[in-house]
Amino acid sequence: MPKERKTSIVLLSIAIFILMEIASFCMLRNNGELQGIWAARMSHAVMAKAWGGSENLRHYLSLNKENEILANENARLNQILGQYQAVEAQRRSDSLTAGISLATGDYVFSPATIIKISRNKQHNYFIINKGLEDGIRPQSGIITNNGVIGIIDAVDKHYSYGLSFMNSGVSVSSRIGKEGAVGPLFWDGRSFDKAVLKEIPLQYKFASGDTVWTSGYSAIFPADIPLGVAGESRIVNGAVNEIEVQLFENFTALRYVTVVENIGRDEIINLEGIENQDSK
Amino acid sequence: MKRNHYFLTFFLLLILQILFCNYLHLSLYVSLSILPVMILMLPIRFGTIFAMVLAFVSGLCVDFLSEGIIGINAFSLVPVAFLRTSIIDLIFGDEIFARKEDISIRKHGIVKMSVAIIAVQSIFLLLYIWIDGASTRPFWFNAARFFVSLVAGLLLSLALSKPLSTNDHDL
Repeated sequence: MPKERKTSIVLLSIAIFILMEIASFCMLRNNGELQGIWAARMSHAVMAKAWGGSENLRHYLSLNKENEILANENARLNQILGQYQAVEAQRRSDSLTAGISLATGDYVFSPATIIKISRNKQHNYFIINKGLEDGIRPQSGIITNNGVIGIIDAVDKHYSYGLSFMNSGVSVSSRIGKEGAVGPLFWDGRSFDKAVLKEIPLQYKFASGDTVWTSGYSAIFPADIPLGVAGESRIVNGAVNEIEVQLFENFTALRYVTVVENIGRDEIINLEGIENQDSK
Repeated sequence: MKRNHYFLTFFLLLILQILFCNYLHLSLYVSLSILPVMILMLPIRFGTIFAMVLAFVSGLCVDFLSEGIIGINAFSLVPVAFLRTSIIDLIFGDEIFARKEDISIRKHGIVKMSVAIIAVQSIFLLLYIWIDGASTRPFWFNAARFFVSLVAGLLLSLALSKPLSTNDHDL
């Protein structure tokens, strides 16, 4: 018998087998009450598994989109939080320190994605996928929920270049505890998640495990962004403390970030310029 | 003449199966069925498609005239017909198809015949008990029912394979 004829007979047998089984199963389901309920339960279970599996696959394939949505939502919530913090600070100043104005500035938050980042140099940098056309300006900060990532240095139409916190030339004004001493935070130059908080006066008490926050004294980063946890400390030159900080952010796994721009930054810099001229 | 003999015997055994289902209730653990051996002993010259159609029709006949759950015997018997040639090929060898001879105890021995009957009975009983129980009975009950029915079915099928065999009726 030719091979093709044999194959077609086999296929026909399989088709007839499937048809007959389906026909018998339908008869079973319609005539046996118990079998009908059981068949319905089985089909629900199979459908749930099939739909559940395809839903999991669809969810996995749409993770990028989900992440983008979450990053946008994060930026929006940071915006709202910034507004509430400004209102709270204003309320406190009104009730406790009448006559003294507090410059908190206004911050605008935009989501962005890091498309390139270097980690193995002493002067590391990053590039994000937002630029002039997205409203990004130089000297904007880059943050995540886990800390400060860096500062935008140069902006093109669609991309921006920034200096990473893992850069010996970058420091962040930080406070140990919410109302503790303020000093500059520098990268330790060796690891992906450690920094050093310098110039903390000796008279200020702190403990290992205290959280380090942004102070809000820079014109770039808002206050109270958590940066890390204080570790061991040592006295330098007999005058100040240097504290090791374990950062919350791990720079090996960065992707979705938030660009923070201080709208009042130009005004602050102008004021500083006027003040410097007057003192001269 | 051989063909007429086979189908006459087949028809009579079908009636016997219907009588078993309606009147012979030995135990909850015993489901007696001779349908698988009837399909197994179908002459070799009849192909898989014919065997499946015969299995479907005879299964439905038994369902309509006895069981009460229409479709259960047909559903369980059609896979036996589908796998019939593969089982024969595996147990008796492919020279049977080349020589176009039918299987029988006299020619192939009781051992091979028993193995073939166990194979077809197992396929039938697994599906039958699974559908009949509809996930309401515990595993141990179904397992006990399977083994007891398999032994009972094997003994009865061995006895009935002689009248069904066309080789044993050569002139």
